[in-house]
Amino acid sequence: MEKYGLYLGCNIPFKAPDIEQSFRKIFPALGVEVEDLEGASCCPAWGTAPSFDLDLWCAISGRNLSLAEDKSVDLMTGCNSCFGVLSEAKHFLHDGQRRKRVNEKLGVINRQYKGSSDVYHVAHVLHQKIGLEKIKEKLVYSLEGLKVTVQPGCHTLWPSDVYHVKEKNPFYPTMLKELTEALGASAPHYSRLEACCGMGGMRSTDVEKSLGLFKEKLLSIKEEIDPDLIVTTCSSCYLQFDMSQPQLRERGEIDFEIPVFYYTQVLALAMGFDPSQVASVSKTQRDGIIKEIQSEKRKTDKTQA
Amino acid sequence: MENLKLQSEKINTAVSTIIGLGGTGILQCVQCGACSAVCPGVRAGFPVLCRLLIRKILDGQLDEIIEDSSSWGCQACNRCTEVCPQGVRPQEVVFAFRRYQAGELAVSTSTTTSQMNMYEVGHAVFTDAQELRQQVGLPAKAPTSAYNETAQKEIQTLLNNSSMAELGLF
Repeated sequence: MEKYGLYLGCNIPFKAPDIEQSFRKIFPALGVEVEDLEGASCCPAWGTAPSFDLDLWCAISGRNLSLAEDKSVDLMTGCNSCFGVLSEAKHFLHDGQRRKRVNEKLGVINRQYKGSSDVYHVAHVLHQKIGLEKIKEKLVYSLEGLKVTVQPGCHTLWPSDVYHVKEKNPFYPTMLKELTEALGASAPHYSRLEACCGMGGMRSTDVEKSLGLFKEKLLSIKEEIDPDLIVTTCSSCYLQFDMSQPQLRERGEIDFEIPVFYYTQVLALAMGFDPSQVASVSKTQRDGIIKEIQSEKRKTDKTQA
Repeated sequence: MENLKLQSEKINTAVSTIIGLGGTGILQCVQCGACSAVCPGVRAGFPVLCRLLIRKILDGQLDEIIEDSSSWGCQACNRCTEVCPQGVRPQEVVFAFRRYQAGELAVSTSTTTSQMNMYEVGHAVFTDAQELRQQVGLPAKAPTSAYNETAQKEIQTLLNNSSMAELGLF
């Protein structure tokens, strides 16, 4: 069984643990073992060490990467920011002098960065390692007839020269679209597909600017697709879509809410897993669409996962 | 003449400061503005990012813009790096400028809680979600540094042995 070190980050284990649970359900069922990286910390997030001290960034990332190296596994994360931060740290650590300085820092805590583990995003493992056909084989419910808007997020796309797995064209990403279509749903293109959702440093620095960007994107989604649900593989985008729709609605700036899920939550639902475990923590209302996905009429001929 | 000389010293200091903090490609910038055209921060209305930030640094204006919060609105998305035809890697210039600001404690107020959380539990974003985790059938304690004292000590040692330690943020 192929094995990855599961790197959780911050948002998923503490804000949306149902996403973490969806990883723990679907990967073994798809033939991939996930091993915890005990004691892993924040990647470190862009607003922390990367904003203060480049070598410290590389040391904290290097420590996290060393946890996977010690287990001789590649690292897999479901958080786009963690994927970006860890991949960039690896890129900076190609510089021999920096690596030497960083390993001196790590030496103080009896650790070493070797560079032997690669960094994968959950979406990469699903798309490139497990593959669409294997996913289709495991579906208990089909999403046929449902319209989905996909939100890939930023940090798996650019800068493509530091990423271990790349899209053919990072301004026209297709992996999440294909993963979503594998569930039977349609995932039409829209003009702001690769536009930023406004989460991250922008939201903590100036919430109005963040909401402005978000609203622009959301209205484009509503007008061009009017989807049954939004699916993302970025935990930050997930939180932005989940918390900002009710906010805008309360202000009277929008008169709708679209249910939003992390991709593996929808996959877990389609594989027959219990919604109270894999998709139960949200501000936007999702009960209706969850019931629809797991309805009798959508059953494929597969047995329960 | 004296004025020109002063200005050139100011420019050299600004450029070498930014290069030293990681913005190593800044001198390759030809001000084409491709970076600003794709930047979500610029689109959202932050005034001093990408092309304009680089222009100001190249003009030696570090002190003049130290209080501007635009750099903290950068999403770190690296669209700029992808499209830059000169290999400047503009995001690294933006982050180098942030580090210059941070070194002078001209940080966004929103950042201080994250630094405390990072120091205490190894997570920038942390809420004690034990009940929520149990509700979804997970062990109450995530297997991260949040509940692991050895890991916390390691992170604290790394932070204490860095330039951040002198800033009094944790």
